[in-house]
Amino acid sequence: MTAVAARDLTILYDGEVVLEGVTFELEEGETLLLLGPNGAGKTTLLRTIACFHREYRGELRVFGKPPCDARELIGYVPQSHSLNERVPLTALEVVAMGGIYKKGFSHFKIPREILEKAEEVLDFVGLAHIKDRLFRELSGGQKQRVLLARALISDPKLLLLDEPLSALDPSARAEVSNVLGKIKSERGITTVITTHDINPLLEIGDKVMLINRKLIAFGRPEEVLRDSVIKSVYGPLARVIPVGDRLFCITGDFHIHRHGGGSR
Amino acid sequence: MIPEYLIRAVLASIMVSVLLGLLSPLINTKGLAFLTHAIFHSLLFGAVLGMILGLIFGNMGLVMAVALLVTITIVLLIAHLEKLGFTPDSAVGIVASFVAGLTVLGFGVLYKVMASRPYFPLSESIVSYLTGEMFLITLSDLAVLVVGGTILFFIMLFLYRDFLYLSFDPEGMESYGGNVRAYLMVLYVLVGAIGALIVQTVGLITLQVVAVLPGAIALMVSSDIRKVIGVSLFLTLGVQLSSVVLAYFTDIPPSGIATIMLGVIYGALLFRR
Repeated sequence: MTAVAARDLTILYDGEVVLEGVTFELEEGETLLLLGPNGAGKTTLLRTIACFHREYRGELRVFGKPPCDARELIGYVPQSHSLNERVPLTALEVVAMGGIYKKGFSHFKIPREILEKAEEVLDFVGLAHIKDRLFRELSGGQKQRVLLARALISDPKLLLLDEPLSALDPSARAEVSNVLGKIKSERGITTVITTHDINPLLEIGDKVMLINRKLIAFGRPEEVLRDSVIKSVYGPLARVIPVGDRLFCITGDFHIHRHGGGSR
Repeated sequence: MIPEYLIRAVLASIMVSVLLGLLSPLINTKGLAFLTHAIFHSLLFGAVLGMILGLIFGNMGLVMAVALLVTITIVLLIAHLEKLGFTPDSAVGIVASFVAGLTVLGFGVLYKVMASRPYFPLSESIVSYLTGEMFLITLSDLAVLVVGGTILFFIMLFLYRDFLYLSFDPEGMESYGGNVRAYLMVLYVLVGAIGALIVQTVGLITLQVVAVLPGAIALMVSSDIRKVIGVSLFLTLGVQLSSVVLAYFTDIPPSGIATIMLGVIYGALLFRR
């Protein structure tokens, strides 16, 4: 079954085109790596699929439905630095947040079954031992895994991850990549991941999409990650280096996150 | 023998403390200090409008009702502007400028209406809105405060976790099925309604300080949300009660004493850091 399908999708902000002419299909269970330089439209596309942004032309379907009708099938994982960490929530409370809004308006007490499930998904991402620690006191990699657990608690069919590896050190990147691999192998959830650095994720990527305010290339990693394609977006210094049966993509693109949000 | 007005002031302090003690951490975590400022100014505009209407219709009971109505209308307008895509600060800035202008115009109209009516000690009412008059609370004022305050307290308590999630990650809340707009509206209306309910006891000038500082102090001394709420509640209660007692012996308005005490505690904690 097709999980996400876009046909001639053009996304606008206040009437101005920010991403145009995007056509692709992602099958159920596949992982799509969404690559592009700053301002290319990666997050915009992700947020449109998640139904946070609704100004678009063309066709976009999530499991055959318009994105806003498929919300209960989607687990969205934002960049952890976009959260308000002044709120003193524990890791367990953050995870439970993903499960309590299926019913009721007041959630004075978290239901026992939600708490049990929250502990279960925290265990799945390898963080059962930190459930009572404050979210803001966790490391970057741990925060990202808690947010993944929050998405998993609602049993989504589609996971949307916005820059899950940004601002992480190499070991934290490996932790998060391992959990993403585990989600793919054990749960088979369709996943779309925006990233600046594709290399740690190539092992789990079935498809790669390169955009720069329009669709540049879409296909299997070996089809998209070619010198000529990469150079057309990142300039003449960009390269794709094959090492054994792996590809390494050197784009020269980097992403510095300022403390307190924002990026450049 | 304890004077009856003092007992009423103590009971009002307890109710005010319970409401502000619970609300204050939310104001801080959600970053609503600027909004709170605008809301409390709209209370003054509502009160002035209520006084004009009260004088015209000969019913000064309209003051609180009109203040509440105006405040709720204004917070809903701010929430609507946010929904249209304005940042919270921009939405507050747009609305607050109109409210400030309308308040000044309202005073002009009020003086004209006052001049055309037989003498009524209305200027004392205006002053009590600005500085708070804990010792002038009547039994019916107290009844309204207790009944209204209890209702608002339980609404806030039952939605507290949702307000925390709203502050933490509104997009996440929306993506998992939470009605962000509805929670935001309820929170803003709660801030406005609590302000309208307690403004005559606390006073507009000091209302923002006593609404913001207890939560700010509690968040400095603890990171467990239950303890934060506990500290905020006990701090507000302690400060309010001691300010009433001190005011009784010194004849200084209690709201001024409470504000200075909170400022001293907050400053001391900052220096200690």
